[in-house]
Amino acid sequence: MREKLLLLRAFFKMEFITFRRYWMNSLGGMLTLYVIFLVLFGGYQGLRSLGGVEGDPAEVIVVGYVLWFFMLSTYQDVWYTIRTEAQQGTLEQLYMSIHPFGWIMGAKVVARFFINLLLVAILLGAALFTTGVTLNLDLLSLMPVLIGTLLSSLGIGFLIGGITLMFKRIDSYTQMVQFILIALVALPADRVLWMRLLPGSYGATLIRNILVDGATLWGLGVGNLAMLFAIGLLHLAVGYGVYTLCEKKAMFLGMLGHY
Amino acid sequence: MIKVDSLVKTYPASKGNPPVKAVDGVSFEIAKGELVGLLGPNGAGKTSTVKMLCGLVRPDAGRIYLNGQDLLAKRSMALAGVSAVLEGNRNIYWRLTTRENLEFFTALNGQDPKTLVSQIDHYLQFFNLSGKANVEARQLSRGMQQKLAIAVALISGSQVVLLDEPTLGLDVQASYEIRQLLKTVVTEEGRTIVLTTHDMNVVQDTCERVVIINEGRIIADELVKNLLDLFRVRVYRIVIQGALTDEQRSALANIPAVIIESESPEQTSLSVRLEDSSVLYEVIGVLGSGNSLIESIDQEQNNFERIFLELVEGGGHSA
Repeated sequence: MREKLLLLRAFFKMEFITFRRYWMNSLGGMLTLYVIFLVLFGGYQGLRSLGGVEGDPAEVIVVGYVLWFFMLSTYQDVWYTIRTEAQQGTLEQLYMSIHPFGWIMGAKVVARFFINLLLVAILLGAALFTTGVTLNLDLLSLMPVLIGTLLSSLGIGFLIGGITLMFKRIDSYTQMVQFILIALVALPADRVLWMRLLPGSYGATLIRNILVDGATLWGLGVGNLAMLFAIGLLHLAVGYGVYTLCEKKAMFLGMLGHY
Repeated sequence: MIKVDSLVKTYPASKGNPPVKAVDGVSFEIAKGELVGLLGPNGAGKTSTVKMLCGLVRPDAGRIYLNGQDLLAKRSMALAGVSAVLEGNRNIYWRLTTRENLEFFTALNGQDPKTLVSQIDHYLQFFNLSGKANVEARQLSRGMQQKLAIAVALISGSQVVLLDEPTLGLDVQASYEIRQLLKTVVTEEGRTIVLTTHDMNVVQDTCERVVIINEGRIIADELVKNLLDLFRVRVYRIVIQGALTDEQRSALANIPAVIIESESPEQTSLSVRLEDSSVLYEVIGVLGSGNSLIESIDQEQNNFERIFLELVEGGGHSA
């Protein structure tokens, strides 16, 4: 247990140091995302005022965009870490440590979660300030649902990470995932039941219920929460399972650390 | 400490290329405190062997025992006392400083960097990196990055350290420094080091023992000193004033051990390879018959490069 805590602390320190040392880079990324949000939101409002579109209110657009960013960041924390570590030559060092690789990625993801949380808070704050939208920021209700939703993102990250280990340069394909995530976050999983099984869709619905409709954690119901975590864990298990298979194949082919 | 038994690895065919048998029945044992070189030309199977020792490549057949533990059956226990530098200066985080790298990898291996401050300081000093402790790794020279990667491998305290081409791409001074440091680590700390290289000088200068691999097979496993003795062929270079006479030339042509290296009206140089000392007297007799004046007779130094080439080209030596 002590070793696991040391591992977690090491990743927290590493992420904090890197974030602090390259804050301009992080800020640049956030500015880009903010500008994209403004363009999207402005376009949406423009079309709405012309009567060109009907549907989701502005709150839903803000929540959807911020949740998409969080899901994308979490997925990339896994996939991009595997890719980068392989590329820079440190993946094999991680594999030779006393910890199973799953634990190492777990520590990394937890550390990154807090960095992402900070970035999301900045983006959300800027989006709310600019649009004048108000949300029910009930963090106690929000956090468990958010974590349950992000489990699916981790699963996607491991799945793509495994494929990256095997096929290496697949960046042009992985870019598609960000667009798929937009669709998954926007799907009406509250109305179409089978859509709840898709990664992130049910979580997005529950998060909208909290942030836009003012629902509480207890108001969502234990059954819904259990289903959210069951779906998230299923996606994580499938993703990690695929990763493990790819890892074994990469070790057989002697290409674990190659990139 | 390390026992490798009948290791086999064949990489399957890919992209139209046929299967490659990288390692073909490799077996050796390495005791605690040895510094052993795995020497071989490019593609000989050295890196595959080391990566199998690290548990990063799964062998098709054979067993590996590290610290008495079967690597294939008990991976984490077997690797607990093993560290490696496989990608040279790429095995470290370039965005972290020298000290931060040492601290991170200490924690990665289950030790608290806060309790190992003196140990970290010791390695910074040992590798002459104290002045660069707070410099990001990306800003270090390649030699310093390589030293840091080795320091990272040592900081965990592992008794077995595997180094894949630790001096590759380094300038003469950095290569020399690393070789000296490795020797000191073995002498002072009693660790077991296995290094792969295709550079004969690294083995001759650093290692007590060498395992020579070619085309996936071990062709020699000997103490470096013994190999040098075993292949000691005395080669003399004889320089005489003036050119050879026709009679001398034809007499020397009948002695297979003699090569006329250069000849001019002023000076002639002969190389005489002695497997039997009588050959030297015979050559001197031929030269004396033409009243040639001998300017010098020098014995050439035997070197590891020649031994290596003879072994690789000759198919090996049973130790």
